[in-house]
Amino acid sequence: MKKTALILSTTILLSALAFAHGNLAHILGTVVAVTDHSVSVKTADGTVKEVAFDTETHFLKSGSPATARDVVVGSRVVIHAHQNGEKFHAAEIKIGTTTAAQHP
Amino acid sequence: MLVLAVLGVFLSRLLTNYPGARGAPSSTEVALARKLRSWSMPRSARSAKNPFSPSAALLQESARHFADHCASCHGNDGSGATEMGRNLFPRVPDMRSDATQRLSDGELYYVIHNGVRWTGMPAWGDPENDMDSWKLVLFIRHLPHMTPQELHDMERYNPKSVADQEEEKEEEEFLNGGPAPAAPSTHKFPSEKRK
Repeated sequence: MKKTALILSTTILLSALAFAHGNLAHILGTVVAVTDHSVSVKTADGTVKEVAFDTETHFLKSGSPATARDVVVGSRVVIHAHQNGEKFHAAEIKIGTTTAAQHP
Repeated sequence: MLVLAVLGVFLSRLLTNYPGARGAPSSTEVALARKLRSWSMPRSARSAKNPFSPSAALLQESARHFADHCASCHGNDGSGATEMGRNLFPRVPDMRSDATQRLSDGELYYVIHNGVRWTGMPAWGDPENDMDSWKLVLFIRHLPHMTPQELHDMERYNPKSVADQEEEKEEEEFLNGGPAPAAPSTHKFPSEKRK
């Protein structure tokens, strides 16, 4: 009886299966400012977007792991970020091999 | 009678609190599910030994296999922090945690090879001869010790759509000094990047 009740209840509990679809914003541009917790990026349309990052953010440069210190003003970056309203939080920041000085 | 009443209250609370897959299972549900899984597993399966020993080559092979077949839900790092992993019911477990790591090799293999009913975990591998799942057990044991370089290597083996591949190429070109892609610089992307 006890085992039957457990099986019955667990069957009902676990029968639901659902998928949800989420999105990451992709932000491409040139770094115009960097702080300990965020990077500001000027995009192709001229707007500046501030994107927060933290210890969970993955940094990559030329395909290899990098750190926040590799993000400097003038760097090209591609950021994949979670968006909440107008706020962005970076899941991954890829840092370019060229800077604005080399490509004005 | 008392058992039925308690069960009725329990189920009523569950259905009221969790009308779909949005809520996380309670600790009671998790404990019940794990107990049921344990009961359903033959003792001989729990004590089965892995025919493989860990080596750099086998870990790389199994990591790439995991990236291709498992990471959509589990994440390359086994954390379960993926779009599907966070929203399946029950939630995809963090396989780096004690709850997974204290399972025997035989139990891990049994779960991979046979799947888990009423969850998102399917059965994998050839029903008769499934050596790949034993290799995945080696990889699961390695998950708590993954390096950033290993995680990066796995990303190349994550499934990608044609659109993903084209966008990735455009972004790489941009990073190397090429023009910005024609698409808007900030846009929605249909599949979340796997960790």
